[in-house]
Amino acid sequence: MLVSLREISKYVDISSLTPEEIANKLTFSGIEVEDIKKSAEATNLIIGQVISCVNHPDSDHLHICKVDIGSQVLNIVCGAPNVREGLKVIVAQVGAKLKDKEILKTTLKGVESEGMLCALNELGVDEKYLKPEQISGIEELGDDAVVGNTKVLEYLGLEDTILDLSLLANRSDCYALFNVAREIGALFSLPVNIPEAKEDSTYVEKDFKVGSESTNCKEFALKIVRGIEIKESPKWLKDCLNSEGIKSINNIVDLGNYIMLLTGQPLHMYDLDALNVKELTVKDNFDCEFNTLDEKTYHIKNGDLVVTSNNEIVCVGGVLGGLNSEVTSNTKNIAIEAANFNHAQIRKTATRLGLSSDSSQRFIKGINKDQADFVLNLTTNILKDLTSYKEISNILKYDELNHDQKVIECSKDYINNRLGTSFSYEEIKKTLTKLYFEIVDVDGNNFKAVVPNFRIDIDGKADLSEEVIRYLGINNIVTILPSTDMTVGKLKIEEVKTRKVEDFLISSGLHQILSYSLISKDEVNSFNYLNKEEGYKISNPITEEHEYVRLSLLPSMLKTVAYNLNHQQADFGLFEVSNIDTKKSIRKHLSVALVGKKYGIDHIEEREYDYYDLKGIVDNLLASFNIAESRVKVERLKENEEFHPYRSALISLDGRPFAVLGELHPLKRKELGLGKVACVVMECDLSLLFVTKTKNNKFEAISVYPSSSRDYAFIVSKDIKFSDLKREIKKQSNIIKNVNVFDIYEGEHIKEGHVSLAIRITFEAKDRTLKDNEIVPIDLKIREILVSKFKAEIRQ
Amino acid sequence: MDYIKEFEELLSNSTKEANEASTLEELANVRIKYLSKKGLISVMINKIREVEDKKAFGEAFKNCKDSLEAILNSKQEVFQKAKINEELLKEKIDITLNGRDFHEGNINPFFKIIREIEDIFIGMGYTIEDGPEVEKDHYNFELLNIPSDHPARDMQDSFYIDETTLLRTHTSPVQARVMEKNQNKPVKIICPGKVFRRDDDDMTHSHQFAQVEGLVIDKNINMGNLKATLELFVKKMFGEKREIRLRSSYFPFTEPSVEVDISCMNCNGKGCSMCKGTGWIEILGAGMVNPKVLEMSGYDSNVYSGFAFGIGIERVAMLRYGIDDIRRFYQNDIRFLNSFVKKVED
Repeated sequence: MLVSLREISKYVDISSLTPEEIANKLTFSGIEVEDIKKSAEATNLIIGQVISCVNHPDSDHLHICKVDIGSQVLNIVCGAPNVREGLKVIVAQVGAKLKDKEILKTTLKGVESEGMLCALNELGVDEKYLKPEQISGIEELGDDAVVGNTKVLEYLGLEDTILDLSLLANRSDCYALFNVAREIGALFSLPVNIPEAKEDSTYVEKDFKVGSESTNCKEFALKIVRGIEIKESPKWLKDCLNSEGIKSINNIVDLGNYIMLLTGQPLHMYDLDALNVKELTVKDNFDCEFNTLDEKTYHIKNGDLVVTSNNEIVCVGGVLGGLNSEVTSNTKNIAIEAANFNHAQIRKTATRLGLSSDSSQRFIKGINKDQADFVLNLTTNILKDLTSYKEISNILKYDELNHDQKVIECSKDYINNRLGTSFSYEEIKKTLTKLYFEIVDVDGNNFKAVVPNFRIDIDGKADLSEEVIRYLGINNIVTILPSTDMTVGKLKIEEVKTRKVEDFLISSGLHQILSYSLISKDEVNSFNYLNKEEGYKISNPITEEHEYVRLSLLPSMLKTVAYNLNHQQADFGLFEVSNIDTKKSIRKHLSVALVGKKYGIDHIEEREYDYYDLKGIVDNLLASFNIAESRVKVERLKENEEFHPYRSALISLDGRPFAVLGELHPLKRKELGLGKVACVVMECDLSLLFVTKTKNNKFEAISVYPSSSRDYAFIVSKDIKFSDLKREIKKQSNIIKNVNVFDIYEGEHIKEGHVSLAIRITFEAKDRTLKDNEIVPIDLKIREILVSKFKAEIRQ
Repeated sequence: MDYIKEFEELLSNSTKEANEASTLEELANVRIKYLSKKGLISVMINKIREVEDKKAFGEAFKNCKDSLEAILNSKQEVFQKAKINEELLKEKIDITLNGRDFHEGNINPFFKIIREIEDIFIGMGYTIEDGPEVEKDHYNFELLNIPSDHPARDMQDSFYIDETTLLRTHTSPVQARVMEKNQNKPVKIICPGKVFRRDDDDMTHSHQFAQVEGLVIDKNINMGNLKATLELFVKKMFGEKREIRLRSSYFPFTEPSVEVDISCMNCNGKGCSMCKGTGWIEILGAGMVNPKVLEMSGYDSNVYSGFAFGIGIERVAMLRYGIDDIRRFYQNDIRFLNSFVKKVED
């Protein structure tokens, strides 16, 4: 909302205040002033008249002008197409400072120029308020301009400061200049003079009927004026609209806008003679096409508020008038409407039709419901200054609105307790009174506050506490920490576990990333190994890129990997921890990517990241949550085109999918443009890990007796899984402490599909030193099993 | 025979030979020549039979033997050390080359800020809560005094799944859920989380960002408590020198509502480009919980009161680290992540 301080000063004397003081106080009391700007910024201007104008001999567009400025005649070179002899013009004299230039004595193509003839945009007027010819040419002044007058900005109506208010939903009252003036008056304790509106009817209209058949319009008021003349608005009105950022059209349209600016009540003007019958009724049950005064056709639907005459739409209520009842330059008789349309319905209609106007915005934000009579009378009071007229009717009104004034019961103690203050009853009463509340004393503590009708936002005692503190200074609140019972602050256990996982990965050299939860259709259909639940789709996405709530973190992770590779980053590890919301559950997932080489330094033997790096992360995660190996199962993934089928795995925990990991499939690598860079990825369902029950840690005494070990080397089929081998060997005796692989070899001398394994088995007892004769039978048994069960060829 | 002389001669010869030895091997030969079982010194013991003063002879013999042994040992030690050194020299490395990558990973500053905020409030006795990102409008709007015809509920401002389900637009629905669960019991929580608005992504807007919501409900909670809490938070987060100021504002779920500014950390309030010359930077929104919100969630607003606040995570991180573009948090450029060294900050 733009507020002209020149207009405000008509209702409250602000001559003792600077714009900055006003802006500051408004801002701290809840009406933020976003910007303070001058209507125009220019010095050293004077009004002149062109007394001669000839074309520059060396230019195709410059003119050499003699300009009379009263005291002397200046020689000025001007490039404007509309400069001509006799024209009254704005002259910026040598030394003038305009918005973005300073005028110097200069020579243009050999001719001396002693100043500049100006267009309004050169004085800092926003181009959006100007006609195209006002921008391409210099400003043409009227006959009333006096040559030699140096108060040019005042003459132009541009000596004004504009406050740009950023209004929040509660202060819709400040979309009315009267209420801004009231607010400033209250904040600075200055008297405010809002004009009275006089009942000025010249006759009583008996035939015209008004009404409403919609519950979304409970008040519809009208005043009829006959015998008017449509013409240009006077300068004061044009200046006012200009300052407020509204274009002047004609006296009647301008009047409607002016009254709306002053009071916040949108008006609509009908050409009375365009109505078929003497009747206007609000209805909401139409479904048809309708031509509006912007010369477009809109589809009206059931529920939209429309004003009808003889059951024919003449206006989309509160949104846009009809072409069929438009006020034109030939209009003689008008009907002026001040209605109260339901804000929610106006919002629905305006949004659907894509029509947002100053009027519809005011209805949407809420209007003062108790000023229809005032507004209509004020309109006709002012109309008399803008046009001749023959007749003004009384107010015709349909009114089913409840006009009871709001009364709030409150007390001094309530306000002080809420604010942590100790204001006296008198201070509180004085404050609320200044803010236009009427206070009825009850007992020196309790009181009743009658809410001023323009403050539609106030409806409870908490609101009164806000009024008091915003007026008396919100920074006067005394700070004191809450004196509540002592509480123990803590993270939820799930968060403690999350931090443990994050810290483990960060310590291992991986970077923690953050990515978007919304992904594309292609992405949401990929990498769904852990989460088979139905996901969410956004019904109104902005882009296809962000249309689905993700079910896996891997698509975003791979995007991040690709981004970094494309930006010349190599050799890194990344992880992300994030919740995943599906229709059934919220689960916490972990994704990991290891890219390029471990140790990215060339003088140290480096190696590419592979499956086992990820497996190590999973093994360590499970171990750090004390989960026994027997509960974990590692299986190959079913055939797919995302993971390398033989270098990937699905790991389950207690039979439920826990992690998927491995090298990417060559086709997927190609799709992602990974080139030759190694990239292994993993995703884990941390929620499953967090809820899995495990035994408490208990200290087990360390054996004081030495352990001994034996090595076995054998050739075995690649189909044999080490996990099976290990389980089977361990079964043989409880003195087998450990089974580890220390060498794997395949290739030359090893037959196809086979691999040479070297394992070390460690034996240990808690209560004795093991003797050879105890180990020998177990050793034999192990060899037998390797051969019989695993078809191993033991090497001697 | 003057055996004393003989011992002296033996010792002097052997010492000379030992001193002349230049390798461990030569030294060993000297030892063998004099001290082995049949060595020139060892065999001298046989002469003990021939002398009268056996005790004196014994002493002379031992002296001679020990002396040579001491010389040989010390010489041997020198040779051995030299040999070890020779081997070590072969193992020489360039100590200035880069070390193996043992560094910790880095953390997106987003998470760093969340942890810090969590830890500050845990220190003040708050517990951490969370809630779903896909939320019912009942919690996201209704229970927060944003009825169905409120402009904040414009379809075009939020991501909707269906008519009653949307991606939460703020973390405040967690407030509503916690209150509903606690009914008429004190509450002291913060809830960090991701939120979503239907904005186009640019330098300062993101369709996804994060907030931390705070809520305290008890008997006799007032605005002074709110201001004190925020002041404490701001000083912990941005340094002891920071001050705060409040501006009256509006949120449907609080009354009174305030915007909170902190004195600019760049210029200390003098005015600079970071604070647009005002000396103050807007940092969060807060207020006293609207009695309607308390009542809707089952609290008696005549007995209980509370305050709430909402802090933008990215905004805090951007101010703290001078980050220019919110999209950087979601890009995860490793060079960006690497610029936040895990310095221990007070």
